[in-house]
Amino acid sequence: MTETAHIVEARDLLFGYDPKTPVLRGVSMAAAAGGFTCLLGPNGSGKTTLLRCLLGQIRPQQGAALLDGVPVGDYSPLDLARMVSYVPQFPTSTFAFTVREIILMGRYPHTGALGLAGRQDLDVADLAMRMTETADFAARTLEELSGGEAQRVMVARALAQQPSIMLLDEPTSHLDIRNQLLVYRLLQRVAKDWPMTVICVSHDLNVAARFADSLVLMRGGQILAAGAPADVIRKDLLEQTYDVDIELIRAGDSPVPFVWAK
Amino acid sequence: MSRSSPPRRLTLRSLLLQAAVLVLVTAAVALLCSLVGVMHLRHSVWTLRLMRMAAAILVGAGLASSGTALQGLLRNPLAEPFILGISSGAGVGVLVGRVAFNMIGLGTPILAFIGAVVTCAVVYAIAQRGRRIDPYVLLLSGVIVNVFNGALIFVLLMVAAPNEKLNYLQWSMGEMPDWVWNRPGLLILCACFVAGGLLLLLLRGAALNTMGLGDDVAASSGVPVHWLRVEVFVVVGMMTAAAVCLAGPIGFVGLIIPHICRMLLGPDHRKLVLYSAAAGAIALMLADRLCQVGGKAIGVGEIPVGVVTALAGGPFFIYLLRRRFREVRR
Repeated sequence: MTETAHIVEARDLLFGYDPKTPVLRGVSMAAAAGGFTCLLGPNGSGKTTLLRCLLGQIRPQQGAALLDGVPVGDYSPLDLARMVSYVPQFPTSTFAFTVREIILMGRYPHTGALGLAGRQDLDVADLAMRMTETADFAARTLEELSGGEAQRVMVARALAQQPSIMLLDEPTSHLDIRNQLLVYRLLQRVAKDWPMTVICVSHDLNVAARFADSLVLMRGGQILAAGAPADVIRKDLLEQTYDVDIELIRAGDSPVPFVWAK
Repeated sequence: MSRSSPPRRLTLRSLLLQAAVLVLVTAAVALLCSLVGVMHLRHSVWTLRLMRMAAAILVGAGLASSGTALQGLLRNPLAEPFILGISSGAGVGVLVGRVAFNMIGLGTPILAFIGAVVTCAVVYAIAQRGRRIDPYVLLLSGVIVNVFNGALIFVLLMVAAPNEKLNYLQWSMGEMPDWVWNRPGLLILCACFVAGGLLLLLLRGAALNTMGLGDDVAASSGVPVHWLRVEVFVVVGMMTAAAVCLAGPIGFVGLIIPHICRMLLGPDHRKLVLYSAAAGAIALMLADRLCQVGGKAIGVGEIPVGVVTALAGGPFFIYLLRRRFREVRR
């Protein structure tokens, strides 16, 4: 289960759903192999759009999203799925699949067209359930779970894909603190141990700064700053990004100050 | 709705075994049904009786598995060929062939297929916004396209020869038309449409399962979402065309059967495609016999099958609309 992690890179991305109003205006960034990167920035700054470019779901009008130096669009859908997995903001399941069935769907790119799970697929799903602490409700449906439990199921499904890159779109924005910590600790752990390149869109500066190896700060479709948390969590940068007065507070033994928006 | 049974792995062997059992059960029901009721005098010969059952099997299997696939693909429990206007599109194709080219034969399913696929494309184009499909707009566009196709069918009927009008009226209500009986080739072509469609849907079962988690998750699992939609619409067009050629635009089979199967078996499309095909085939054979025997019993002659499916399906649709639509909007 030790695949090598991959480098994710955006090179000069220009993209607009409507060509006249670009959402990404020349975005360049790189996420180190095996690192945990958080994308931060106010609503509408282009974080999700950047993520969708990296996923290959939208094609930039200029520039390229690269995985290991190869444009995302050059991979076949199945090859890409064996490399990159995705966790949405809101877990949904239209039909009443059980948690185990949903997690096994993560095996889609590894099984044949019929998606018949073999012994090995079940083992991978079991491991994913153990890592995310979802085994207890394996036989329940998503609807019967709390938001935090459901989101952990989606992370487990993404893990079952055995990717070397995981992209997450605000996975914890509607979770309580305990579930937030659970998810972030898990991401931190898989990034290091798997190893996996994790890129996560987030709104919680403090949680992101505490768990991620590097932060990318976006505003208006551009990147304002990128680097280690201590270099990005700066009063002037954050005030410029979010248009609020910021105070940085030293808390506990954390190496990164706590952000307090006044 | 948790199912308490222990997790059982779906294997190729169990899937094939289930398919074989379903084929046998369907065949047995076909034999039994062909013994029931007095066939029309011309149908007294055994081969003709079996042809009628074969037609019922194709219509029921095609429509029910089409409904299953559409509901999974569009994440919409109300999707089915009739409601989305695909059946009426195929009906326009049939009548264009009959009225404009004076033709019933192997070209009929082809024209019906063209009508069905064009309708699919129109409904899809209306409901699609930025690569996503709005469930409300989808149903509304189905309603509108249905009205439009209905008007086209009416115009074509007006142009048709007067002595054929009653024929077509009955066909449009779901009575298996006379033109099938002396054309085994037509039946065989329709069987190819349905069998080919079923095979492809079975192979897309796992992809349809992941569609339930949303387009983005499905795409990131390696499902080519856009291409899958094209494939399923073409296959549904094929199977609906076959069904409409054989028995007119019958409604609601594609709605009720998939839901009953889903309630009994769970949501796995790999099994649902098979089971809904078999259940649809059996349901339509029984409905066909019921219409004949029941119609004779109350002295009105043979009742078109479409009347029965619509009478049963209409209330069921409203029930689903009230109970399930909330979930779709999430």
